[in-house]
Amino acid sequence: MTTASSEKKGRGWFKEEFGNPERRTAYYMVLPSLFIIVVVAFFPVLYGIVLSLTDSTVSAFGSFVGLENYTEMFQDPDFLVSLTNTVIFTVVSVALEFIIGLGIALAVNRAFRGRGLVRAAILVPWAFPTVISAVMWRLMFQPGIGIFQYLAETIGIISRPVLSDPTLLLIAAILIDVWKTTPFMALLLLAGLQVIPGEVYEAARVDGANVWQRFFRITLPLLKGAILVAVLFRTLDAYRVYDLFWAFGARELQSLSTFVYEGVRISQLQFGTGNAAAIFIFLTSFLIAMFFIRVLGMRTSAEEE
Amino acid sequence: MTSRGQSAVLAGRRINRRDFLKMSGAGLAGAALLGTSGCGGGGGSGSGNLVFSMGPDDPNKTWTTLIDKFNKENKGSFQVTYREMPADTGQYFDKLRTEFQAGGGNIDVIGGDTIWPIQFAAQGWVQDLSDKFPEPEQNKFLPAPIQASIYEDAIYGVPWYEDAGLLYSRSDLLEQAGYSAPPKTWDELKEMALKTSQDTGTPNGFVFQGRNYEGGVCNGLEYIRTHGGDVLSGVTSGEVVIDSPEAAAGLETYHSMITDGVAPQAVASYTETESVPVFGNGEAVFLREWPGTYGDIAGGNYKVKKDQVAVSQIPVTPGNESSSTLGGWTFMINAQTDMPDEAWEFVKFMSSFESFKFIATNGGYIAARKAILDDTEVQEAIPTVKLAKDVLLDYATSRPVTEFYGDMSLEMQDQFNNALTGDTPPQQACESLQNSLTSIMEQAE
Amino acid sequence: MASATATKGAAGRGALTTVLFYIFLVVFVFVSVFPLLWVFKMSIVTKAELFASPPTIVPQNVTGAEWAQVLGDPTFQQALVNSTIISTVTTVICLFFGSIAAYAISRLRFRFKGTVMTLILAISFFPAVAIIAPLFIQFTQFGLINTYASVIITDTVFALPLTIWLLVAFFRELPVDLEDAAKVDGATTIQAFRKVIVPLAAPGVFTTAILTFIHAWNEFLFANTFLFDETTQPVTVVIPNFATVYTVDYGAQAAAAVVVTVPLVILVLIFQRRIVSGLTAGAVKG
Repeated sequence: MTTASSEKKGRGWFKEEFGNPERRTAYYMVLPSLFIIVVVAFFPVLYGIVLSLTDSTVSAFGSFVGLENYTEMFQDPDFLVSLTNTVIFTVVSVALEFIIGLGIALAVNRAFRGRGLVRAAILVPWAFPTVISAVMWRLMFQPGIGIFQYLAETIGIISRPVLSDPTLLLIAAILIDVWKTTPFMALLLLAGLQVIPGEVYEAARVDGANVWQRFFRITLPLLKGAILVAVLFRTLDAYRVYDLFWAFGARELQSLSTFVYEGVRISQLQFGTGNAAAIFIFLTSFLIAMFFIRVLGMRTSAEEE
Repeated sequence: MTSRGQSAVLAGRRINRRDFLKMSGAGLAGAALLGTSGCGGGGGSGSGNLVFSMGPDDPNKTWTTLIDKFNKENKGSFQVTYREMPADTGQYFDKLRTEFQAGGGNIDVIGGDTIWPIQFAAQGWVQDLSDKFPEPEQNKFLPAPIQASIYEDAIYGVPWYEDAGLLYSRSDLLEQAGYSAPPKTWDELKEMALKTSQDTGTPNGFVFQGRNYEGGVCNGLEYIRTHGGDVLSGVTSGEVVIDSPEAAAGLETYHSMITDGVAPQAVASYTETESVPVFGNGEAVFLREWPGTYGDIAGGNYKVKKDQVAVSQIPVTPGNESSSTLGGWTFMINAQTDMPDEAWEFVKFMSSFESFKFIATNGGYIAARKAILDDTEVQEAIPTVKLAKDVLLDYATSRPVTEFYGDMSLEMQDQFNNALTGDTPPQQACESLQNSLTSIMEQAE
Repeated sequence: MASATATKGAAGRGALTTVLFYIFLVVFVFVSVFPLLWVFKMSIVTKAELFASPPTIVPQNVTGAEWAQVLGDPTFQQALVNSTIISTVTTVICLFFGSIAAYAISRLRFRFKGTVMTLILAISFFPAVAIIAPLFIQFTQFGLINTYASVIITDTVFALPLTIWLLVAFFRELPVDLEDAAKVDGATTIQAFRKVIVPLAAPGVFTTAILTFIHAWNEFLFANTFLFDETTQPVTVVIPNFATVYTVDYGAQAAAAVVVTVPLVILVLIFQRRIVSGLTAGAVKG
């Protein structure tokens, strides 16, 4: 078996994998899921890349135009607005959700009465379909009947309807997302906290470490894995935001995803730039994930095998 | 359960792998069948059922009444189903486009915006009606919508009713404040709105449709045109001329409605459905709306009564003519329908003189036959008809009727709304529209 | 030991922190639940009170008219049916394929496990919006536009990672010996799966089913893209458009939003412990 150690795939690997009935069964069992995923998600991306390099419309396949769609896209002011909105939204809401979520997790990390109620409070915003919560919040900002519009005007921080101002809409959207997702983030971080054994803190306390030192030297490092997972998922979720902006903003608030949707499904002439933007989102999402995994050292479950 | 017990269970029921896969396959097939059973369920063409699509009916249920009448007279051969579409014409348009792109859909007769026939005809989605609707017949209808239905010398739509922007005023409130007639210029309107709302304690001076949708385009165009500017140099073709001092001045006036306190800030998110109740419930002095609203008010659907309301032309800036954006609706027939003859029967019925007279007297609609507008009974029943006739013949201008109007509209929707809220200065809005509209027109060649 | 004095000081401090803690909890619960309560209030008051300025805190004129209108509306009823069918079928398919895949991943050894896991994980990072155009074109060619099948297919793809992830975590908790004992008795891998693993994993599978169902129920993008009339549209698409059908009937829109959310909330509250353990098990062990 010296060949096996010098080459990863020696001559016998194929037989070893697929000749073994147990292994074969394993592959059969995994195959349908993989098949669905590859066919319905990955092939369309390839098709999408092809589309973005042509001047096709929905009904007719066009001719190859190289990177023209992409250059048009980068010059489109709507695209730039949606990119800015999306980046601001992602960075701010994930940061807020992380900080507040961590605070909640730390505060709740002990036994107390009313645990069930708190758990329920955590899950209620999470259970809402995003679109429905967007509709609800839109009702609460509607001029004339919306309580938050009324409160904000009375307190004096706003002088115009939130629903017609793009900046205010973005701020409101961030707040809604924080409302909806912070509990979930807190949940994930809490789970990570609960894995840290209490003795570690005891030992540190005996050694004279104060609260901050305990936090930065023990809690954060031990929590790193959970933090990275939670933050990565939230970042990619926020980056892809569509439901919230579409239902709350009603075309006044643009994100990258709404830009794509408008381009490929609503307008007649923007199909090319819409597709280019779609591929742009795909590639940048990939880069963000790679950054987390490679640079920040996030471990995926595959490596934990 | 001990491992011995478990193996006993296993021994008792030996299911071999093939059976397992067979069962799962059957289960999946069942799930798939259930999944595909949702294919466009209720009533489609080709089953003795003609589908007519249109936005929501008015509070007087005008169209539903007509359809019921048709169905009664046609019992036994085929029936018409009214499929309600979104009130927002942009959303309605998107739905239709999706259905057409996906292979035809099940709508047979479409009640659509006057500017759709050309856009749909360019893609081959609606039927050529030239042999059924020859010129002598066409001449009995109003000229503007006829023109908007012609693409490459063939006609694709039968006009239904026309809309033109009108100014509604609370004549009783104006009288209280010392005014005897509705305003003729924008400056007069602003002055009257402010004084009247103050004197009578009415919350709002002027409400209109300012949201970023099709109606917002109609509103914005009226300001631009009454200041002497325009979008295109022609109706269906020409140069893009929106970058002009007149157009910018128009948008400036549009914006000043909010900044001068004449209209509430919320108008930037209003459509017809938000603005009409504000006026109808007595909370505004002026309203810009389509003629059909008079019918709604006359029908007693709101607190305000018809004798409290006066209707007049859209104000102007001195030295310019009034301009109302031509809205309106046209019948089209789906090119893929299975029931073309039946569809034409229905269209003929709905566009007959009797049907038109009904919608005029019952709903206040400006039905698109010349004879209707001259009919004295109609004129007596609905004062707006006489006014609208003058407006339609003299002052109504269509939106640009081009193949890619949809995309042009999207640009104008955004920019007009930005100008209204002040997010973009009017001058800049006109410039950016000049650029985007020009590139769209170029693609239409 | 310093603990004596430490405990005394700690007790005094402890009382204060406890009070603060409970205040914090109350605020937290209130903030989370407030929007639902407020919109519920909007749905039960009369139109006049709805537009009252300043808004009333305690409802004064209660009416059931909005609810009656919404519940009796055929479009809304159809939308509820559509959502239920789509979510249920998606959940069934996901559970079926997901459980056998999760079993293989968690209990069997094979060489390309890492690649498989990465591919599946990649879907949860995948921007769905990137494929709406190509899929729309493909589905048009297959005549699937405006059918349940189109959304079920896409919902399944995007729910599978969640399903598999959760089931892998649950399966890993089961002791390894069980299958070995079964195999000693002569069962094949699939038999071991069916008769041994499935019954014991039932609670985990059940939790996964709930979470998958909620995930499919909340889906909006694909439903908005592929489905265009009320015979197929689920509630997520229909309710935001309520404003156009019911004009300015904000009360009806509020009622519709509550009707759709309350079953989910009840479901979530009943099974909260399971759901929380499911989500965290996946997070910690995944």
